[in-house]
Amino acid sequence: MAFNRRKLGALLGALLVTAAVAGVAGASPQGTPGVSSKQILIGGTFPYTGPAALYKTIPVAEQAWYAYVNAKGGVFGRKINDKTIDDSYNPAQTVPAVKQLVEQDHVFAIVGSLGTAPGLSTWGYLNQRKVPQVLLATGDAYWGNCVHHSCQGSTKPWTMGWQPSYPGEAKLYAKYILKNKPKAKIGVLYQNDAYGKNYLSGLKTGLGSHAGQIVDTESYNVTDPATVVGAHVGAIAAHGADTLVIFATPAASIAALATVPHIPGWNPLTILNNVSANRLFMLTAAKNGATLNGVVSTVYTASSTTQANLPGMKLAKAIIHKYAPALDQSLALGDGNIIYGLASAWTFTDALNHAGKNLTRAGLMHALRSLNEKNNPFIYPGMTVQTSKKRTFPMEQLKIIKWSGGATGDWHATGKIFSGLH
Amino acid sequence: MRNLPGLVTVLAVAGVLCALPFLLSDYHVSLAAQVGIFFIAILGLNILTGYTGQISIGHGAFMAIGGYTTAVLSRDHHTNLVLTMVVAFAICFVVGLIVGLPALRLSGVYLALVTFALAISIPQIPLQYSKFLGGSGGVQSSRTVDNLWIYAAAWTASAILFVLAWLILRGRIGRAFRAVRDSEIAAVASGVELPVYKTLAFGISAAYAGVAGSLFVLATNGFAQPSEFDVFLSLELLIGVAIAGLGSLWGILAGAAFVGLLPQISTSVPVIGAEHGRDVVFGAAVILVMLLVPDGFAGLLARLRRLARA
Repeated sequence: MAFNRRKLGALLGALLVTAAVAGVAGASPQGTPGVSSKQILIGGTFPYTGPAALYKTIPVAEQAWYAYVNAKGGVFGRKINDKTIDDSYNPAQTVPAVKQLVEQDHVFAIVGSLGTAPGLSTWGYLNQRKVPQVLLATGDAYWGNCVHHSCQGSTKPWTMGWQPSYPGEAKLYAKYILKNKPKAKIGVLYQNDAYGKNYLSGLKTGLGSHAGQIVDTESYNVTDPATVVGAHVGAIAAHGADTLVIFATPAASIAALATVPHIPGWNPLTILNNVSANRLFMLTAAKNGATLNGVVSTVYTASSTTQANLPGMKLAKAIIHKYAPALDQSLALGDGNIIYGLASAWTFTDALNHAGKNLTRAGLMHALRSLNEKNNPFIYPGMTVQTSKKRTFPMEQLKIIKWSGGATGDWHATGKIFSGLH
Repeated sequence: MRNLPGLVTVLAVAGVLCALPFLLSDYHVSLAAQVGIFFIAILGLNILTGYTGQISIGHGAFMAIGGYTTAVLSRDHHTNLVLTMVVAFAICFVVGLIVGLPALRLSGVYLALVTFALAISIPQIPLQYSKFLGGSGGVQSSRTVDNLWIYAAAWTASAILFVLAWLILRGRIGRAFRAVRDSEIAAVASGVELPVYKTLAFGISAAYAGVAGSLFVLATNGFAQPSEFDVFLSLELLIGVAIAGLGSLWGILAGAAFVGLLPQISTSVPVIGAEHGRDVVFGAAVILVMLLVPDGFAGLLARLRRLARA
């Protein structure tokens, strides 16, 4: 009998624990989730660890901006509380993290989450529940196109990106090549996934009838070591290309840039996609032997090094110094991701302001579809963050930049601002 | 009547599991489902590592195979999701048998290395065959299911597979597994056919991992992607087995709860913080388990029971 009594005790204990957990979980909020008279709770997932951890300054900069806004009284008296969770760039961790934010923390919206695959793994879920999934830090074409058109079987009206679309950016490179090197023999290094293919298809579309000038396309996998990436660059040279187009993530682009000088007699025009053109990454490439002069890329945020005197850049420096001093040094070296974070967080507070005092999720989406930010202090001077009901990529402008000054050099903008890129 | 206390335990656990969805919030149901998924994987790995004494640091690879089976079948053929789990079980059983072959020649750390290679190489396959398997863009199943569905499926599968494991281990096969673990030479001398039982243990545990992987992908909103099945997943399973210890339902529940709930707990506890919280807790747990309870939770229970009797 003693045995059974002990079992009974265990069972009762288990039931008690269960009831306690259920009691804690029972409370459900009233009105718009995450919004009270004092606070707006938002959430996001970011790769603080893992293969994309180079991007981890973005959420820190965003939180610094919110801290700055809160110190000035918040938005309509509400303080913005941004809860971020590390997902290691791994969708299997993104999903429970987002479920936790939505179902447990009852956030108002998922804001700024980073990565294409993490975004894809949660957009069905978030749209089903009508939770805004906005200002995603990825430029895949999905984030703008699936608002109106059916993608993977349904539309996704609660999802939005922020940065220029990758195909749009690639079309601009095609334009640049056709204008400056019309007889170019083009070799493309691209990442073997949706991200790289988005770029490649944009480039082909942009080249149009000149797409035949692509003499070689080489794909690498995001987990490949530097030597494999280098071998692909060697293959591009062997195919006789005189123009190297790199559509890669930072680690691979650094490896590719460092390989070029090792190929005797090869001095191609090199084009590098925006995401990898952060000055910090360029300096790392130079340390690994890359000769950077003449590399071409694009920009849509202001530069904390070459444009340090802009009011926006002075503000950035002050905010980072006060609310995220650990980033002081990388900002001084020109870490574009910090400016990116500030700029996209600025858009979020701008949308909150336009959504009004009576904040709802639908109101936020409406505000995000009618953005008109000529005054975002962190984007490139003269550019506008703009959306309409039909055009849902907030940033569709880019400017060509060229590197000069070698291993201690910097990007310098040339030419006009290109608009309507998508 | 020797089994009566055990039966009472099982029924009690089953009763609590049936009651949970009525008591918990939707979010906590999703966490409980996560525990159920890891329960299946750890139960299977326990048969291989605990009972047969063969180490595997690569069972995340079988979860990947199971998960992709479900996602691809659902995407291309709209197959019933429960049916895809059965298919995942079968495919992983066969692959497990094949992978079990090197186990005939290798043992200890060498076998561990082979399975480790598996954990690294299998997630590369979708990248290589990206047309069919989606590359790093992943595969999206045509149907997604809610938390309650996954909870019910995970724990129903757990119950079925638990009974299956019990049936396997209580009889001839289980005896042969234990004989292989304790001494291969003695086992052969007693007429145990080593090749048969070693590969069989691999096959069974792989099949269990396959079902777990299938549910794992369904819990990820039906989205299968290579980085979900990184090496860390395989290590998590191994740690879960170490925490579980040998042959105790409570032990496996403890191991599954640890692995299934840790990511959430580590982000919610402010002391640990968002950054590297998971890694720190896992590292500390492994060291503590190995130091304090080398036989896992099951060993701890046995020790407590002895203390209570003394």
